[in-house]
Amino acid sequence: MPADSGEDNLAERDFLRHADHDIHRWMAQAFEMAKDALENGEVPVGCLMVYNNEIIGKGRNEVNATKNATRHAEMVALDQVLEWCRVKQMGSQNVCKRTALYVTVEPCIMCAAALRLLNIPLVVYGCKNDRFGGCGSVLDISSDELPHTGTPFKCISGHRAEEAVEILKTFYRQDNPNAPKPKMRKE
Amino acid sequence: MEPVPKRRRESDADSWEAFPVLSDDQCDDIKLLEAYAAPIIDKRETSRLVKELAESFPLPGLQHIKRVRACKDKNSPHPLEVIVCLSSDLPEVGGESVTLSDLLHSRPVDSNGLGEPFVVKIPARPPLTRPQFEQASTHWPTSFHEDKQVTSALKGQLFTASQKAKMQQHMLCAVQAAKAGHERGMDAVGAVIVDPASDRVLAVSHDCKRRTHPLHHAVMVCIDLIAHGQGGGAYDYGEYPACQFISLDAQQPKDRAESPTYGNANQPGQAEEKSSQPYICTGYDLYVTREPCVMCAMALVHSRISRVFYGATAVDGALGTKYKIHTHTDLNHHFEVFRGIMLHECQNLQTLDKCLL
Repeated sequence: MPADSGEDNLAERDFLRHADHDIHRWMAQAFEMAKDALENGEVPVGCLMVYNNEIIGKGRNEVNATKNATRHAEMVALDQVLEWCRVKQMGSQNVCKRTALYVTVEPCIMCAAALRLLNIPLVVYGCKNDRFGGCGSVLDISSDELPHTGTPFKCISGHRAEEAVEILKTFYRQDNPNAPKPKMRKE
Repeated sequence: MEPVPKRRRESDADSWEAFPVLSDDQCDDIKLLEAYAAPIIDKRETSRLVKELAESFPLPGLQHIKRVRACKDKNSPHPLEVIVCLSSDLPEVGGESVTLSDLLHSRPVDSNGLGEPFVVKIPARPPLTRPQFEQASTHWPTSFHEDKQVTSALKGQLFTASQKAKMQQHMLCAVQAAKAGHERGMDAVGAVIVDPASDRVLAVSHDCKRRTHPLHHAVMVCIDLIAHGQGGGAYDYGEYPACQFISLDAQQPKDRAESPTYGNANQPGQAEEKSSQPYICTGYDLYVTREPCVMCAMALVHSRISRVFYGATAVDGALGTKYKIHTHTDLNHHFEVFRGIMLHECQNLQTLDKCLL
């Protein structure tokens, strides 16, 4: 489609400029979601999915509540995006390719693949994820060549990174009530 | 989950082989380093030479290398050869015409009993598998701590005939789920999660992505069904009757379910009782007709699956083809993977998918 590519590029630049301009506003809300996770005993990661300046999905970790280790903030928010499209009777493919994700921590390998599969073009995140990161930290799912796994996406990182790390540390300092208990040594 | 006539099942189990999907470190050809070796002309000097050489030229990180070897050529006048140093120890000397005095220049090594050096290649890392050990040994004698399980897996001898029959039974269940999904317009991919301790099927799923949710791959559905069985879960699969799970209560033997969970906290038995409750997919095996994608493979890491058995490979597969997520050293959980289970039937399912496209 060479005739359309000029217009597409223009739209993409417009999309990226908007995303960049509103980082502060959206990330503030993603952090609110992360804090909500912390208060509910979940790994404190929060995110937002934004389409056309409108929040169409919100999520925070729900792993412990669902006993399903795949219920990361991004997966929860993507469910809401799909539901939003269904209610609005809009094609999810068209919506997703113009939707940005704002998330406090770099998406893990699984979430990065899910974002690719839904063709999300842009991910804005706070801190790196050294343990599971799929956008360069452990693997580079965001940009690797995977012809059967959707489309690669762009990343903008580092916004309020220290704060994102701090909130994770707060969580890991406390006990995870669902993890198997280590054996206690008798005095 | 209809029972299959026994005779047919047993004969089928001979038609496939389970291949272990090992890490790149285990599969790759061994890497070699260049070194200088020299014949020991006077055998009585051997222990002194070895000691002095080891002091002047230690071989850090090469504990698997035996410093001295028996000479390969049986007609040789000297029976032993010793590694003098690595080529990288002396970057300033080089070439084939290197002499002993070039190597030992200004080193506290008495060259008495040593012959003129020659260049050898020695294995840079300890061999991890028997094929690597055999390859390494052709270059220089190397010690090898054999993992017997890996050796028999590589020979296709890890599983007994009765184990293979059980694996076949579980994969057959996944194949049937794949077909049930395909009849409802889904990709023909099926998955089954089993507790190997009891051989009980805990969850059965098929791909559900085509109609409603693009991320509902068979493996993702199966993981969520296990969560349902443990009193959690995120989705309702009511419209897919072939997607099933067994709930936690049914998994627990009666006597254990009724045993009191309170009591003296200092009693060690009580604490163990509690921690033996199922925790996501810990200890479970997954059977899936097609190699999982990156999303599903990482979901299995998060879910702490124990082993994965799959049939056919996939172009973007993440358990062997494109990545080996299950062996990635940076990740906090690793698991064993075997491919090729009921390969023919699983490949046939992929042909069904092509008809759908």
